[in-house]
Amino acid sequence: MSATQTVASAGSARWKQIVSFCRRFARNPLGMFGLFILVALLFCAAFAEIIAPYDPYLPNLTARLTAPGAEFLLGSDELGRDILSRVIYGSRLTLLIVGLVILTSAPIGLLIGVVSGTYGGWLDAFFMRVTDVFLAVPKLLLALAFVAALGPGIVNAAIAITLTAWPPYARMARAEALAVRNSDYVNAVRLAGASEFHIILYHIIPMCMSSVIVRMTLDMAGIILTAAGLGFIGLGAQPPMPEWGAMISTGRKFIFDQWWVATVPGFAIFIVSLGFNLLGDAVRDLLDPHLKARS
Amino acid sequence: MTGALAEIRNLRIAFPTENGGWHQAVRGVSFSLGREKLGIVGESGSGKSLSGRALLGVLPDYARVEADVLSFDGIDLLRASRGERRKLRGSRLGMVLQDPKFSLNPVMTAGAQIMEAVRIGNRRISSAEAKKATLAILESLHIRDPELVFDRYPHELSGGMGQRIMIAMMVVREPDLLIADEPTSALDVTVQMQVLSILDELVTRRQMGLIFISHDLQLVSRFCDRIIVMYAGQIVETLNAKELGAAQHPYTKGLLACLPTIDGPLSPLPTLQRDAAWMDTL
Amino acid sequence: MTNPILSVKDLSVRFGAATVVDDVSFAVAPGESFGLVGESGSGKSTILRTIMGLNQDWSGEILVDGQPAASDSRRKFARRVQMVFQDPYASLHPRHLIGKAIAEPMRIHGMDNADARALDLLDLIGLGRNFAYRYPHELSGGQRQRVAIARALSLSPKLLLLDEPTSALDVSVQAEILNLLNTLRKELNLTFVIVSHNLAVVSYMCDRLMVMQNARMVENVTRAQLRNGELKADYTRDFVAASRL
Repeated sequence: MSATQTVASAGSARWKQIVSFCRRFARNPLGMFGLFILVALLFCAAFAEIIAPYDPYLPNLTARLTAPGAEFLLGSDELGRDILSRVIYGSRLTLLIVGLVILTSAPIGLLIGVVSGTYGGWLDAFFMRVTDVFLAVPKLLLALAFVAALGPGIVNAAIAITLTAWPPYARMARAEALAVRNSDYVNAVRLAGASEFHIILYHIIPMCMSSVIVRMTLDMAGIILTAAGLGFIGLGAQPPMPEWGAMISTGRKFIFDQWWVATVPGFAIFIVSLGFNLLGDAVRDLLDPHLKARS
Repeated sequence: MTGALAEIRNLRIAFPTENGGWHQAVRGVSFSLGREKLGIVGESGSGKSLSGRALLGVLPDYARVEADVLSFDGIDLLRASRGERRKLRGSRLGMVLQDPKFSLNPVMTAGAQIMEAVRIGNRRISSAEAKKATLAILESLHIRDPELVFDRYPHELSGGMGQRIMIAMMVVREPDLLIADEPTSALDVTVQMQVLSILDELVTRRQMGLIFISHDLQLVSRFCDRIIVMYAGQIVETLNAKELGAAQHPYTKGLLACLPTIDGPLSPLPTLQRDAAWMDTL
Repeated sequence: MTNPILSVKDLSVRFGAATVVDDVSFAVAPGESFGLVGESGSGKSTILRTIMGLNQDWSGEILVDGQPAASDSRRKFARRVQMVFQDPYASLHPRHLIGKAIAEPMRIHGMDNADARALDLLDLIGLGRNFAYRYPHELSGGQRQRVAIARALSLSPKLLLLDEPTSALDVSVQAEILNLLNTLRKELNLTFVIVSHNLAVVSYMCDRLMVMQNARMVENVTRAQLRNGELKADYTRDFVAASRL
């Protein structure tokens, strides 16, 4: 408290917080490992053209199902396409789905939850019953039904996952809003004549953000798995797209003789999910208001 | 001092800080205690509660506790195992916390909680006997209708009654040393004195040692034999309670002067001018 | 009293089945400092919160400047009356910079130079401008309470309601805050209503006080009457005696 030096602007005060956050994060080796995986994933997605040794779509029928070796580092698939290149390009699809789902489900859930918790009454009852209905249906089943209705495809898969992913955010945001809406600092701005809209935007939503961010990072692994699952049963990305789940699905036919076809994308899914889980855990240790209060 | 009930020499407690260093919360506290009433007074952050908790061994795991001597009745607490310390806490050391609302179990009746304390101390006691002991202790705390209070849940009790239950839980095992951390700060003034006099009576009758931790210098001086004044993790002054007026240290004097009184003058209150030199007295 | 700045008549407040304020009336003259004293559960804080519109289920009449509080729009009302809360650790938004917190009421009211005025207010309450860019967790309890006072003053209200403004603070810090409040009252011509369980604080701060017990008012006394022991009710005498010890 006393050790803090004078800070001269709002920008530098915020910067100091960010630096302090990064410093604490850097002390968690598992979190750093998760972050490393995420950065590697982003790197692959951004520079796929440069990193990938082959064109991921171009069949090479003379080199079908080649075992991992000098020519194809991680082997080739049934059409002679390099699996490493396909996995690298597949990172784009994975990030696309994760991004689409997170950027839609979190704000939707947050908004519904915060409005519900702040206003209460029949609005709260209505929103929460809708949330209950969505929570009561098995996730994959709901996603399946939506994809079946909308038709297979990567964007439709993302929409379907979003529909199943928002209710937990709404629940969480509502609980936070309930705790915050009658706190003295919210009362103080209420007494200053602030509208409910102002209170929600500037006071309640910022207090929900850390929980939402934690939930988001922990959710990403699940979204990747669900997306791969949809791809696997042929309702997500369609061939010839190098989506990891779809790749495993085709590799299934050769699993006993040409194990690498299914294993390599499976391993990619495993690594990336693990990375997101480790990252999420580390972020939770730093941000979760409930853990903070205990330590 | 030989034969002291508790002895603390050069106690240092530190907590890890955000940037990887250590924050020294208690910096070289020494005192010894006989079967007497010792008050520890200081403001928030002075380390007064931590010193009491170190004796009990209830500091959080991440705290770093060091001392040349930390002993209770000849037992070296620094070397004692977790189990031994827990046993001591159950039988010979007791603690009363500030707010009964947070330290009583809300889903157990007051009587059940005291009985539980009795039975932890003596596992072979029958439940009828435990109940008898519980009612007896409630009666000794001047509770008019012990049977009625026995069946009440904490939320049905007033603050003063809740604090008496807390005290009952602690003294029913007849500890040798009771540590009371702000036991009356959450109570109304009219109840405060009542609870204090009950505590006083118990301690005197049972010949216990008492460490009374409080921010209220006046209150402590009326109630204790000796007062230790702490500032920023150090003891700045040890006083005989009767000689509060003779306090020498500017911090102690400042604490006494800055309180408004009902009959006091309306001129601005003297404020405490903190002196950096107080940090390295000793 | 000719034109009270605050007048409360026959106020009753219910929380569900429980009546927490029962038929209480009082009036406060402009420039006066009025104390509401009582032990926990006496309903004194509830009265303040009800005046500020934070409780819904009440009956009676609350007039601020002769006008019913309920008829004013929230914004207009905010410029007449503000409140300082008991716990400075709970009354500042943990994610907002100090300067922003003080400027916020002025922003809500569309006032110019909100940020510059916030800096002036920081000077006024004795913290200094460079506190504007700190977060609440970097401040001590006393410093936070100063910030809460600055925020309450940002709309230049004439009437300030203070709910146990120093009970969460150390005694040495309490002295500083009480001195600050007295100075501000003189300089800005403020009217105070102070709720406290501490009779010494009220006797030091207030010209007049009302003693409450179990949701009801027990008696109204002036400071002189309190000090001379001219008390009518037994409860007040007990309370004073316990506080004098």
